[in-house]
Amino acid sequence: METLALTSAIPLLLALLSISPCKLTLIKSVVPSALWIHFCLIAWLCWPVITETIPEIRISQGLALSHLGALFLLLTIFVAASALTHAKFFFDKEESRTAAPAPRHVAIFYACSNLFLLAMCWVFFCDNLGYLWIAIEATTLTSAPLVYFGRTRHALEATWKYLIICSVGIAFALLGTVFIFASSQHGAIAGGSLVISELIHNGSQLQYSLMRLGFIFCLLGYGTKAGLFPLHSWLPDAHAEAPAPASALLSGSLLNCALFGIWRVNEIMVSTRHNLISHDLIVWLGTITVLAASIFLVRQHGFKRLWAYSSIENVGIMLVAIGLGSGALFFLQALNHSIAKVSLFLLSGNIVQSTGSKSLGEIRGVIKFAPVWGLLLALSAFAVTGAPPFGAFLSEWLILTSAADAANWAVVITLILGLTLSFVAVSNHLVKVLFGNPKPSYAYFQPILTSLLPACLVACSLVLGFTTGYEVFKAVQ
Amino acid sequence: MSITLAGMIAITAAVTAILMVGSRQLSMNLVLYSVQTLLVAGLTIVIGIQHQESNLFLIALAVASIKAIGIPRAFLWIVKAIQVRSDPGTILPAPLAMHFGIVLMGASSLLTSGLPVPQGTAKISLEATAALSLLLTGILLMLTRRVALSQILGFLTIENGIYLFALTQTSGMPLIVEMGILLDVLVAVMIAGLLLFRIKSSFEHIDVTQLTGLKD
Repeated sequence: METLALTSAIPLLLALLSISPCKLTLIKSVVPSALWIHFCLIAWLCWPVITETIPEIRISQGLALSHLGALFLLLTIFVAASALTHAKFFFDKEESRTAAPAPRHVAIFYACSNLFLLAMCWVFFCDNLGYLWIAIEATTLTSAPLVYFGRTRHALEATWKYLIICSVGIAFALLGTVFIFASSQHGAIAGGSLVISELIHNGSQLQYSLMRLGFIFCLLGYGTKAGLFPLHSWLPDAHAEAPAPASALLSGSLLNCALFGIWRVNEIMVSTRHNLISHDLIVWLGTITVLAASIFLVRQHGFKRLWAYSSIENVGIMLVAIGLGSGALFFLQALNHSIAKVSLFLLSGNIVQSTGSKSLGEIRGVIKFAPVWGLLLALSAFAVTGAPPFGAFLSEWLILTSAADAANWAVVITLILGLTLSFVAVSNHLVKVLFGNPKPSYAYFQPILTSLLPACLVACSLVLGFTTGYEVFKAVQ
Repeated sequence: MSITLAGMIAITAAVTAILMVGSRQLSMNLVLYSVQTLLVAGLTIVIGIQHQESNLFLIALAVASIKAIGIPRAFLWIVKAIQVRSDPGTILPAPLAMHFGIVLMGASSLLTSGLPVPQGTAKISLEATAALSLLLTGILLMLTRRVALSQILGFLTIENGIYLFALTQTSGMPLIVEMGILLDVLVAVMIAGLLLFRIKSSFEHIDVTQLTGLKD
């Protein structure tokens, strides 16, 4: 119980602090430091689950923290702490501009990002499909104000699309949840149950045709939230219009939450032992998403939209890992993607602030006017596209070999095609951004503080690439 | 087929949804939505009496007060404030869309006949047809309308359909889950309502088909 109480208490207190009449400078430094302390505390509390000394932390009927859930919980808090640490430098720069955001809007941003973190943390505690739905819908509601931060027409349009598309998508997941609930009432559990562990335990007695319907609706519903092709249309808009720290939060942690929902539903589906369709369906949806996203990457004009499509590509890869039934690979890919992508979005935020443009055609010569940013941007982009020696290379390689082990050659070939295409596309765009002559209107600022966090993240990604190899091979085998 | 009281109420709710697709007046749509949700709340009470579940009375009260009275009242006020009275519609003209809604009701009858029958009942009921019909009509409303407010109403109708399905085809979702869902929907609609005002003041219209500033 104390795990859940503590996980909820700190973000809640920070959200209250943000809307209290405190000085904004205080909020900007208190929130990140509190979140790093929060990260350490939760890591200490979850340590027995992470090292698998105990199988899970069970809080009550319908609330439990599993091994995978604990790993994702820590990753989510890590991403939030990183993004909000960088947010201080981001908003300091924003406030020095002529069209500075109102202090109240910045305070609302901090309050909503803490509530958003809270909703995301709850997702991993849910052992009940109903609670899971409520938590995932709550992540949409608390993050919509983050997307709207800019208060421009474009931000408004992106927020509207985000809210409506995700809410309707999630409504289908609710229908799926009702179907799964109904499937448990055909003799499996008296009175039916929404508790995921009970459903898994009685998997073989669930009414299969209802369960299958429920699974498909949940997959599409949570898939909308994860940016599954062709339901991804909200994702690039929201990621591009949100301020950089919010984009990092959306890409680095929100997508993981939605995928975690799919993972839980898939666990139930697998337990019915009729798992013929679920594996192929998820693997193929993931593969098509990878290929489609890489095609979108080729003809991209927006700087931040580029990374948004790269997130969709990574969602596809994670879906393949889920479809292959490997929680370890799913988490490893999510970890590598989140770390590198947060770094990319934060750096892109810096560059967009300096150049005053989000268009790929307008940004030139980053390596000349800000060498540190340019270098870090190139390294993070390589890390995200899965180039060696970064961590993502390892996880993508393992996912490909697992798919090959399952003799799924069509999937392997399509995936390789998609991954190669996206690597070429990203490199191509990156060369144009990095080299060439910077415009005189660019304003360069504070190189050290604004590159600090991305540099740490890139280092993390490198360390992951070099160290996780042996343990991961052992875990996967 | 013997028609039960519950079935009658459910079908009437589905019919009000089809009427919503046929009406272009936003205030009329809001009143129809309110009636539809009141019927759904009434059905909850009927089932509560039949199964002697006191939880359902609580849920019915929450549904009636929040979704049937609170939300439509707030939106009627917004409609007055932003002075948008009717929805010109896209793709299909309103009367044609309404007839299409009737076809969808027939289709949902066919679709639900393929579903496994819940335990304790002889055959798939009229309520399941009504629930699916509400859901499909909600989607139809979202697709054929261009005003942002109609999109919200479409979403709410879809949500009513899912609620009705859960109510009649399962032994009822746990109270805490129902309340959580209701809270989420309420907050979603409140945020959407706030955005409506912003869209009106910065674009000077609330036509979502014209929101095309963002593309690849």
